[in-house]
Amino acid sequence: MFDATVIEKARAEGAIIIGKTSQDAFGFGTFSTNVGLGFEIPKNPHDIKRACGGSSGGSAGFAALTKQTHASIGQSTGGSIACPASFCGVAGITPTYGRVSRFGLIDYANSLDKIGSIGKTVGDAALLLEVISGHDANDSTSLKQEKEEFSKLVPEKLKIGIVKELFENCDAHVKKECLKAVDSLGMKTEEISLPLNSKYGISAYYLISTAEASTNLARYCGMRYGLHEKLEGSFDEYFSKVRSNGFGEEAKRRILLGTFARMAGFRDAYYLRAMKARTALIKEFKKAFSRVDVLANPTMPLVAPTFEAIFKLSPLQQYAMDLCTVPANLAGMPHASIPVGKHENMPVGLMLTADHMGEGKMVQASLAVEALK
Amino acid sequence: MEKDGVVIGLECHIQLNTESKLFCGCPTAAEEPNSSCCPICLGHPGSKPVLNAKALDYALKVALALNCEVNKEFFFSRKTYFYPDMSKNFQISQYEIPVGLKGHLVLSTGKKIGITRVHLEEDPAALVHEAGMGASNFSLVDYNRSGIPLVEVVTDPDFASPEEAQDFLDQLTTILSYLKVYSPLTGTLKADCNVSVYGNSRVEVKNVTGKKAVGKALEFEVARQKRLLLDEREIVRETRSFDEKTMTTRSTRGKETEADYGYIFEPDLTAIQLSSGEIEEMKAKMPELHAAKSKRFMKEFSLDEYTANVLARNFNLGLLFEEISKSVDAKAAAKFLTRELMAVVNRSELDLDSLDLDSGEIGLLLEMLLSGKITEKVAKDAVVAYLAKGVKPTRFVEGRGLSKDLGEKEIEKAVEKVLSENKKAVADLKMGNEKSLNFLVGQVMRLTKAKAEPRAVQKIIAEKIRK
Repeated sequence: MFDATVIEKARAEGAIIIGKTSQDAFGFGTFSTNVGLGFEIPKNPHDIKRACGGSSGGSAGFAALTKQTHASIGQSTGGSIACPASFCGVAGITPTYGRVSRFGLIDYANSLDKIGSIGKTVGDAALLLEVISGHDANDSTSLKQEKEEFSKLVPEKLKIGIVKELFENCDAHVKKECLKAVDSLGMKTEEISLPLNSKYGISAYYLISTAEASTNLARYCGMRYGLHEKLEGSFDEYFSKVRSNGFGEEAKRRILLGTFARMAGFRDAYYLRAMKARTALIKEFKKAFSRVDVLANPTMPLVAPTFEAIFKLSPLQQYAMDLCTVPANLAGMPHASIPVGKHENMPVGLMLTADHMGEGKMVQASLAVEALK
Repeated sequence: MEKDGVVIGLECHIQLNTESKLFCGCPTAAEEPNSSCCPICLGHPGSKPVLNAKALDYALKVALALNCEVNKEFFFSRKTYFYPDMSKNFQISQYEIPVGLKGHLVLSTGKKIGITRVHLEEDPAALVHEAGMGASNFSLVDYNRSGIPLVEVVTDPDFASPEEAQDFLDQLTTILSYLKVYSPLTGTLKADCNVSVYGNSRVEVKNVTGKKAVGKALEFEVARQKRLLLDEREIVRETRSFDEKTMTTRSTRGKETEADYGYIFEPDLTAIQLSSGEIEEMKAKMPELHAAKSKRFMKEFSLDEYTANVLARNFNLGLLFEEISKSVDAKAAAKFLTRELMAVVNRSELDLDSLDLDSGEIGLLLEMLLSGKITEKVAKDAVVAYLAKGVKPTRFVEGRGLSKDLGEKEIEKAVEKVLSENKKAVADLKMGNEKSLNFLVGQVMRLTKAKAEPRAVQKIIAEKIRK
């Protein structure tokens, strides 16, 4: 057994780890309703009939609930920090892919997974990010970087890009709150169009993430990891039994989808095409960042839905909820969700995205948004 | 592809002799089962692989030595399949762009064998059946092997006989030894052998361990397939395994389907990027390989092709030869090493690379022999004692009381005795009768029980007679 690098780093700075919170199993979900056997579904502190969001729902929910000084660690593959931060009305930061070591993180999709921070304030989240950032020889994808003191940053005037397509499919009230916040900043703005990201982001994301996830989950077969059942039949039969009994419905869905996407005969059309699309989507982002410092859009297209509404959604409708968060996650761009207002008495989150390694600007803009309150 | 012949292709997996595993720091050598493993090679959730730079360097050397094209950018892939020996149920290997592509190796006959690809991958754990595969109702897993670096060399289907495949493996292992990336004693070599005859279905004999076994498996498989055709029976496209006890192959039951490994890029590792400069630098640093060395020996020391090949075939033997030939006549040194030394090595089935031979000692021994101070018999015995027991030749010669001074004195005594007892022959010799000399030498040899060197005896007799 070993501690994850982020845990070691936080402890070295004097952090006290008080516990683990519920989340969607393996990060598979948008509402923390796929928590797996033996875990509780976290309820939204603003209204317990509603979800915290996901997948790091417990992290955000607890940050919103506790009266103590607190910051949480979360993990985002396609929006799992921003989404619950938005639904629970806290600040969530997802860093550039590679800024924070993934050593010790249970993998969902390794090329997309990012450990980030959630706090009651932008300052708390920025401080935790500052502590857990840094190159780690144990994670080959972690980036060489200078130490940056995110917690010492102050609001700055920046040029904000308003992402046209990511406002289009949103609830009108959410849209209104977000635009109002951006307007109130009094900064220069420009409308930015990300047509490729909004059109192909979700598809490319779900193909790549499930392809990778389906390989990561292969080890939970009852040999060394996963459940242990009565030894019967061939190893294939035994592995199948363990996996059938152990994985939840969503995990099975993603294993099937991901395995299909990388199978001979389909690999070129799905997995490889999605990988190529990702490169094109990053380019589109890069072009946008040649014009503006930070991009703004609603984090989620709606406020936290009720569990009743969630259970009526089809998997595809659930995946579509990630429309706004997926592009930045797919491109590995740092992004934050900051509470900007309320609708139905539930928090609305504004998402601010910066270029690779542009966490500094992202935090400065986030502080400015937070100061509007 | 020849329609009327045997067509063989090989996929060879060779264990690289790095000190640590391919993606973690665990030692590759371990005594106790499961004593050299960590969260990474056990596939523990949350662990991440970190590439062993040495293993990459070794694989690049192999690719370059096999004349492959080396890509400036290549990466690792996940090959996913379920098997109890794989801790993650995927193997980190290479797929689209491996370390090297499109190379070749020249057989001793001069025939060129195409190399399809050279790639780097991790070995799975070892399944252990203590009572044998059939008798065990359980398997044990030893994760010491999990993550050991393997280089896979895939050939084009260019072999026309088991002998050619065998020759290829000999050439390949020699190259690997020259590169110092493979230890024949501790490292394993496994091959998947693809065999077809007269354009019929291809049969794959999987997982054959060791060079000799590959030769045997191929011989059996070719014979089996030809016999089937003689009996007008069909050759089924299938996977077979080789049984080393019976030296036969047998069907592994399952029909061969194209395995679908669902390759994806290994997302925990970054692409490896090399500049043209780095590749050129590696090429420049490549050691002289055995084929080139053999040619050089022929030219530089006027050796015949066979002798030069034998010397060059083993890196250490070649080195020994070059060291010794600095002080001793090269041809004599070559003859002594290839005949006397190699005779002992082969007879006792010794491994040259595990012997720590001192060129100075062998040089001195050879000098003594050439100057007639010791007999060939003594020299041979000295070699046996050196190789088998580690007794240094100079000490061996001393110990036998056959060192320079003593030996000469003994011979002198014997010569004096023979001369005094064969007055007629001495007289004849003084008259110039060569046959008398041979007779006298023979007498001395008999008296000394052949411990004397005939040439030295001749010399002493000549000196005595002149006096």
